Amino acid sequence: MAYMNEDGQWIVLMGLLVAVGLFFLALIINQSALVGQTTAEGVLEFPKNDIQDLRTAVFDYVDQFPYPGDPRVQEDIIAISLERKNSLVDFSVGPKVQVSGRDLYPITIHYYNGVTKYDETVYY
Amino acid sequence: MMSLDFLVGFTIFMLALIMVVSMVPGLLAGLESSEIDYDAVAYRTGVILVEDPGWPVYPPWEMKTEAYKDEIERMGLAVSKETPNILLSTKVDKFFNDSFFTEDDYRDRAIFGDIPYSYSFLFRSGSEVKQVGDAPPSGHGYIRRVVKIKEPGAAVIDTSFVPQYKATSAPSADQEFIVRLNFSQLLDPSVDPAYRIDPRTEPVNVTITDFDAFLNMTEPSTTNATLKNVTFWKMDPTRPSPRFTRIPFTYNTMDPGLYTLSLDGNLKSLAPPGGVEVFDNISLVLKPAATSLFTLDQNSILDIRFNFDDDPVRTHITGIHHYDYNPTNVTRPDLKPGVLEVAIW
Amino acid sequence: MVNDRGQLYTMEGVAAGIIMLLTAYIVISTTSIYTPGDTHIPDMQLEQLGSDVLAMMDTPNSKEDDESQESDLVTYILATDKTSFRAMFRDYCNMRAGSGDDLKMNAYVYFHDRDTGTVRSYVLDEEDHATGRENAVRVTRWVQLPERPDNLPMAVTDIDNRPQAVLLEVLLWRT
Repeated sequence: MAYMNEDGQWIVLMGLLVAVGLFFLALIINQSALVGQTTAEGVLEFPKNDIQDLRTAVFDYVDQFPYPGDPRVQEDIIAISLERKNSLVDFSVGPKVQVSGRDLYPITIHYYNGVTKYDETVYY
Repeated sequence: MMSLDFLVGFTIFMLALIMVVSMVPGLLAGLESSEIDYDAVAYRTGVILVEDPGWPVYPPWEMKTEAYKDEIERMGLAVSKETPNILLSTKVDKFFNDSFFTEDDYRDRAIFGDIPYSYSFLFRSGSEVKQVGDAPPSGHGYIRRVVKIKEPGAAVIDTSFVPQYKATSAPSADQEFIVRLNFSQLLDPSVDPAYRIDPRTEPVNVTITDFDAFLNMTEPSTTNATLKNVTFWKMDPTRPSPRFTRIPFTYNTMDPGLYTLSLDGNLKSLAPPGGVEVFDNISLVLKPAATSLFTLDQNSILDIRFNFDDDPVRTHITGIHHYDYNPTNVTRPDLKPGVLEVAIW
Repeated sequence: MVNDRGQLYTMEGVAAGIIMLLTAYIVISTTSIYTPGDTHIPDMQLEQLGSDVLAMMDTPNSKEDDESQESDLVTYILATDKTSFRAMFRDYCNMRAGSGDDLKMNAYVYFHDRDTGTVRSYVLDEEDHATGRENAVRVTRWVQLPERPDNLPMAVTDIDNRPQAVLLEVLLWRT
């Protein structure tokens, strides 16, 4: 190797170029895989079905036990939510008030599962 | 002078390059884009269709005709936003009418994507299957929603109503049978929207079967009666001194988009010239498109009046049939389970 | 004319090739690690399906004037009718184009015991044996019962006979 020159270096350079290109490709692919992951996780993590279910449960409760309600059933919902769904749930029903000509129960619903917090006041 | 050495080095480089290039598609194969975006779009479309009544709500989007199609902002199939997963049959029928909606309509009003996605919507309830779009290829995004479908009720007046609506003595020459819809009762907000009778979104069906049972039997030769016309009357009880007024309407033009009147199986207009002799049955379907022309509000009372005109009197049918929540007056079909599948690719 | 200068091209070709192959290998091995993101999507679809099925089973098919009619789900829980519950659940799950869906499920009912202040449970349906390795999703539904259910398993016959809210949990998985 008496007289090394650098004539061949461009081949290594091309190899490097392809390598860098591959890395960028990988980066993009990883990102797109993450998109799918985050949408699915977002859907799974946001407790849409839990909240919808809780709302119908509360409305059912009001249907069956109009104001002042049955504190035992209310405690059931609160206790089971905490135990099985790791979510802090509270709701209260007030006496009927007049809203646009109709007598409705004001209901406040509070839901918190550590990630998502949901508060609602609804007239039912 | 260095051609051989260069050739060897360059060949090794090229071989490696070819190997790498051939590996790249394999790299992408595991990440078919369905798992990236299509599933999310399918999920979103499913939520829009199943949990949203669409926009505009009133008058509902499904009543828009070709000329007003641009006013449809969003196609949702739910009965109301309070009742996710309960679909209205009229909305479903309109949505799956792919001679009315183009591919772009589905993309702009249900899928809402920047990319022109391909789609396939499939609704199945019992043996009934509705579909728009092509058969999905492998690697499509997919969501399946289990739903229930609400179908319109119908007032069927059969022989069991004879004691109620058949006058014992002959009424005056001008006989009238009234079907009354009290909107303040029908649209009472305390009724769950999933079980509501809403003439603004669903057709009103009135069927008189066994019409011959109501005929005037003192004249043994009577086999029919002449239906002069069917008219619509309304009353607004909130106005001072309320009274029924006849609603101006194109009574003498047949328009299946507004109503169908079937007399013994023959379609007729509401005011057939000279009247029509009815032997056996009368069936009227009043479409929501017609009801919206009547400018009714949630307090109005709508009358559908069947006028018979014979001298001597040939039918004894008379009285007021209330189109309401009484199950003997109006039979409301049960909600039917079904499934809506959305595929996006 | 063969000298040391020539060998350099060969060596550099080998070096470039090794760099590219190594990169490709690393890239492939890293991306395949990130793909577990995919497994969340079937979970999401299954969870949505399960919630829909329970919600629809809890929707009465008709409602007359003032009478509040019980849904199928309430009826099955009140009677602890495992067979009908399973049949209807699977029926609703399998309404689809093409072949049926091989879904496995177990169902449990959680109730609140006011005497001890604890939440207890009993099995509504445990016909499909879970090995514990399945990637199961859990879907739940609140059910309001007017009274104590019948035909309860021995261990929980002391449920209060009162109107109460119970939570139905269904574990769903595909084999």
